[in-house]
Amino acid sequence: MFSFSFLVYAFLGALLSGISLAVFAPFVTLRRISYLGEALSHIAFAGIAIAILTGLNLTVITLIFVMLIALGITLLAKRHNIQESNTITIFLSLSMALGIILISISKNYSFDLSSYLFGNVLLVTKSEVISLVVLSILNIAFVCFFYKELFYLTYNPVMAKVYRIRTDLVNLIFMLLLAANIVINVKSAGIILVTAQLILPAVIAFNFVHQLSKAILISILVAIFSAFIGFYFSFQLNLPTGACIVVFEAILYFISLLCPDG
Amino acid sequence: MIQIKNLQYKINGKIILEDIFLELADGEFAAIIGPNGAGKSTLIKLILGLLELKEGSILIDGVEHYNWLKNNTIGYLPQYEDFDNAFPATALDIVLMGLAGKLPLGAHFNKNHKQKAMTALEQTGVTHLAKELIGKLSGGEFQRVLLARALVSESKYLILDEPEASLDRPSVDSFFVLLKELNSEGKTIITISHDLTTLSKYCSFLVCLNRRLHCHNHTELIDADVIHKTFGDSLRIIEKDY
Repeated sequence: MFSFSFLVYAFLGALLSGISLAVFAPFVTLRRISYLGEALSHIAFAGIAIAILTGLNLTVITLIFVMLIALGITLLAKRHNIQESNTITIFLSLSMALGIILISISKNYSFDLSSYLFGNVLLVTKSEVISLVVLSILNIAFVCFFYKELFYLTYNPVMAKVYRIRTDLVNLIFMLLLAANIVINVKSAGIILVTAQLILPAVIAFNFVHQLSKAILISILVAIFSAFIGFYFSFQLNLPTGACIVVFEAILYFISLLCPDG
Repeated sequence: MIQIKNLQYKINGKIILEDIFLELADGEFAAIIGPNGAGKSTLIKLILGLLELKEGSILIDGVEHYNWLKNNTIGYLPQYEDFDNAFPATALDIVLMGLAGKLPLGAHFNKNHKQKAMTALEQTGVTHLAKELIGKLSGGEFQRVLLARALVSESKYLILDEPEASLDRPSVDSFFVLLKELNSEGKTIITISHDLTTLSKYCSFLVCLNRRLHCHNHTELIDADVIHKTFGDSLRIIEKDY
């Protein structure tokens, strides 16, 4: 019974992690902010360090920290007309530096960098599966409801402003949700898989379709399919699940290049 | 009516625009001319609210322009629209953008909106491109799609930044014929242009700008001295046309 539920949670963790990130992947890819996903997952490092040092709930503290930084990046880029990429790099460096200082202060704690980088889907708990279900529903609801605003925000934010499309609020929610996705997914998926899942399903989808709504759907299907295949091989060959999913998605990507539109 | 009073604009202490006083009545077809770096695009971006106005005032229909822009749209054709060539949008999607701001947050387009967008595409003569991806359109076709977007917003004002930049010669003429038609239907048009031959045929009001306004009057009143002050070394081109 124990091994069964642990496997079910692990599989659901991999599946839901893929779905939640795949919903955002087409927007992240088209806005060319895939580095933001990676940066936010590194920024989470400082949040983790703060939680360790203060002894408070790791997920809650990291979530609050990363969301605040995401908010900071959005506001700073808007108010001071700084390129988002520069702001992200500033916060990324600051958070990593802060994280390392804080980890070194808490000398008694041996931080497992490997699990932070690659995650461990086998450690996913029931409550984390529930968080991932809620997150996936929130993501899908957000994208469905604000599809029009997200579409034009992604196309050209300046012209969206000219035509009075209210992209400010939508962009803010997008950034906060993206931050939440990264924090909640880092434990099960790790930074490497989170970054891959924010890009690969979408670039595969765009090699088959040229319509955003269809690309979102295909991106989700790619994530689901990859979770099944990746999990199967990981279980059969006793290999790390996250890494198997990434390798399978990369193979799918190269196959998708053979598509006439690829 | 657009009224600009005592407008100054600086970037990092460098004066880009100074002492701008300008009144454009409804129904004008105005052209802004001036050399590169004269502040033409800056002036229209200030009118559009894309740049923050720090000194002076811009009134649209008697209302401070930031307030006017909260409830109204100005149809705008940028010189170059920044977009990814692979962006999955059709010409129709881009035209619908002109209506998107009128819909409540989260509302989706209905048949009526799509019909309006198709009518705008018909006006600019590119209905057949409605389903084409924007990355596959030529410069001229895309300009017409952008004009359709500006038209569908039903704004009484239309601002264009060098619309001829991505058009070949015959397309420039047919594009300005279309603009003239829109102007005679009541649209107030402001266009930045370097193409004085075309402007002299179609525009009724010329704004000569080179950091300051050198003139803002009806085209027949412009003389070579004024244009010399505006353009400096570019005078040769202008003498040919005026």
